[in-house]
Amino acid sequence: MKTRLTIVTLLATLVLSVPGASSAIVARDDFGEAVKLIEQFYHVKHQSLPLLAKATMKAATTAARIKGGEYRKLAEAGSVKVVFFENQEFNSRGDMTRFRASLVNAVGNTWSPLIQTLSATEESQTYIFLRQASEKFNVLVVTIERHEAVVVQVNLKPATLAMLLKDPNEMGKAITDDATTNDN
Amino acid sequence: MKTLFQTALKFVSPSLLLLVTVAVSASAQDARLQLTNLDYLAGKASQTVNVDIDEKVLHVTANFLGNGSDEKEVKALINGLKGIYVRSFEFEREGEYTPADVEAIRAQLKNSAWTRIVGVVSRKEGNIEVYLMLTNNQISGLAVLAVEPKELTVVNIIGPVDLAKLATLEDQFGIPDLGIEGPAKSKPRE
Repeated sequence: MKTRLTIVTLLATLVLSVPGASSAIVARDDFGEAVKLIEQFYHVKHQSLPLLAKATMKAATTAARIKGGEYRKLAEAGSVKVVFFENQEFNSRGDMTRFRASLVNAVGNTWSPLIQTLSATEESQTYIFLRQASEKFNVLVVTIERHEAVVVQVNLKPATLAMLLKDPNEMGKAITDDATTNDN
Repeated sequence: MKTLFQTALKFVSPSLLLLVTVAVSASAQDARLQLTNLDYLAGKASQTVNVDIDEKVLHVTANFLGNGSDEKEVKALINGLKGIYVRSFEFEREGEYTPADVEAIRAQLKNSAWTRIVGVVSRKEGNIEVYLMLTNNQISGLAVLAVEPKELTVVNIIGPVDLAKLATLEDQFGIPDLGIEGPAKSKPRE
């Protein structure tokens, strides 16, 4: 009994003393990490969505355009996290690949990269990461344009994911449009 | 003696299982090309598309696609696939990628497991190369290399893909429209 207790204590000490191990136990806020990375890399600040803007967006009837028509609601209710960066300068100064590597590094432990669409000449980037959460999928979408950026995290049902995957190039836009035109 | 045998079995079985698992996954992974040498091109390209759809996601997609005739066909095509990986670059000027970038991909396809399918052409400009990997006389992977002066695309599909129906997957799952035309049932040639 005493030996078992000692082993357990030793293991617990080891786990807590290994750098990174304790943080792995605590749930990672990869959404926050992605936002922080954008702020640090581009020297910008995110904005909370103004209430008026949200009301306007809620009233908008724009629906996510996806293959096979329009879809009113992609994300699971209550699962949406959105952060906006507006009217700011997103200039990677030819170092877009370094930002991509940093982003993948920041969230890559728990998320799998699914789609990346970049244009070095137009300074536009869309990254879609995927993570399975029980029977659903968490999707993280990072969209950066020359003067604005949006980070969105949503939960999708497998059926919705399957439908979106038919046209993955439009997937990021569809999810972002959905998350910013519905008050989930 | 029995106890010794049981003890030995207790240790050997998991090791054997691990060995078999590693061997199986290694053979499945063989068809996956290393494409990281192309990553730097994203910094030069006017348009870059990277798609990494793994087996788990393909499985979900196959299970949840609808029952329309088109969807049934797609479902049948992706069933059993273990991954779809695409790297596609469009450039404003010629000469943005080097012959060495393309050769690094071709070098992997010179492996004896890969066979180039002759006679496959594209409706579009440029050169298209289609390769199949055969494992025990079954297709276990496919690679398409489309090389144009201002475009470079690599499509790597892992699993038993039906070459004759490859065109069905074009413009879906991130596979660009390569305009593939060719011998639908052509036999692989060394």
